[in-house]
Amino acid sequence: MSVTAVAGSALSLKEFFDGVRAGEITVQRCTGCGELAVPPKAFCPGCGGTTWERRLLGGDGEVASFTVIRVPPAALAPEAPYAIVVVRMAEGASLLGRTDGIALDGLRVGLPVRVAPPADPTATPPVIRFRPRPAA
Amino acid sequence: MRHVAVVGVGVTKFGRHERTCAELFAEAAAEALADADMRPDALQGIYLGNVVGEAGERQLHMGPQVASALGVPHLAATRFETACASSHAAFRHALFEVASGAADVLLVGGAERVLTMPTERSTEVFAYASDAVFEQPAGLTFPGVFALIARAHMAKHGTTEEQMAHVAVKNHRHGALNPKAQFRKEITLEQVMSSAKIADPLKLYDCCPFSDGAAAVIIASEPVARRTRKPVWVLASAQAGDAMCLHDKRDLSRALATERAAQAAYRQAGIGPEDVDVVELHDCFTIAEIVATEGLGLFEPGTGGPAAEKGETGLGGRLPVNPSGGLKAKGHPIGATGAAQIGELAMQLRGEAGPRQVEGARVGLAHTLGGNTATVLVSLLGREPR
Repeated sequence: MSVTAVAGSALSLKEFFDGVRAGEITVQRCTGCGELAVPPKAFCPGCGGTTWERRLLGGDGEVASFTVIRVPPAALAPEAPYAIVVVRMAEGASLLGRTDGIALDGLRVGLPVRVAPPADPTATPPVIRFRPRPAA
Repeated sequence: MRHVAVVGVGVTKFGRHERTCAELFAEAAAEALADADMRPDALQGIYLGNVVGEAGERQLHMGPQVASALGVPHLAATRFETACASSHAAFRHALFEVASGAADVLLVGGAERVLTMPTERSTEVFAYASDAVFEQPAGLTFPGVFALIARAHMAKHGTTEEQMAHVAVKNHRHGALNPKAQFRKEITLEQVMSSAKIADPLKLYDCCPFSDGAAAVIIASEPVARRTRKPVWVLASAQAGDAMCLHDKRDLSRALATERAAQAAYRQAGIGPEDVDVVELHDCFTIAEIVATEGLGLFEPGTGGPAAEKGETGLGGRLPVNPSGGLKAKGHPIGATGAAQIGELAMQLRGEAGPRQVEGARVGLAHTLGGNTATVLVSLLGREPR
């Protein structure tokens, strides 16, 4: 098998996080098999393809797993306790982030959430946040 | 490829030490040489696992430092880093050097000092083994990584916090039998369940401790090994990976790297999980032991929790897991852990593990996990070469 196209991501991490600052999640989508890639990749892990396009996600998802960090790294001590969630987005990709407006004891697997702008958009990289989403 | 055997084992006590990594490694290596009835001039190289040398001791380039401390400064000495699986990766690479015929006798091990740092600092330094772009800025810690895995496993299989607590109770019971263990006291289910929350649902007693310590094994080619007292043969050694970021993994309730490495190791050895008599696996958190027993094919998916609860993985149970006390009670000096697991299996397969001996053990499995389950090594050892 020969690789006929030059492998390369269609999206840099800088571009991804510029989108996050605006509350938007732009991901790579493999034109061969439809796989969504976050972070961006050179070759598609699903089919080995090298042709990617950009896809703006709608922002809706469901909590796939969650935790409440009570012993934080030194730099984040003032923010503890805080929640970290892994969210399965409606289109299929997953994202990790913090929460806003969700009680720590109100978290559960399956909770509908929506991407919100980061608490500190000047942070490099900014941290993705999720807010509660009224069930459709 | 030639047959290779473990012919010497040495390990320091795990816990708090006032000595440097190099001093600790020299102690473990000297014990391994004595165990092998060899002198240092028999060694042809050193493969060293170490993870946080920069933060713990401001020491890069630890290879020649440990060689100097042992008194063999002329030897090739290389440091390996695959997070908590570092000395298991060192072992696998050393194995290839001996199996290929390039060397006959090598010293393999690891050393770590972490208790030089306060807990908040070591929590931060350990988090460097998670993704620096997506995970560290969000404030994800290692207990947090395994808490997310635990929640996913609970949601999918109904695994309970009590089942996880049984892993801690069992490994403390084993650790009480190990003179080198950091914790040599038994604990109760109630103590685990009422301990302080670290990262929900994980509590203090679901977590292994921060530890200092070193471990070493000597490996040798078959002609050399046949002249030693009780060689233990390496049947297989495999490494596999998975996506670096937790959110990029296919299924948080599984450790795909464990499944991949285990399948490769069983294939190399020509055996299956049903042939394994004793297991030393990476219980950095109690949920990690449950997920690993499933990923290694020892228990069906979703049955690892009930198996722990029923005592099937305790000494005297159907398949003893972590007779050494595991990372939970023996301690987890991260760069030394893989070598310590392999050393424990060698003692078990020789029948020299004392009160924690798994009777009649003929095949052992060592499983070491690096970082947020993105690196896994699995090795199989046996009383007879394959």
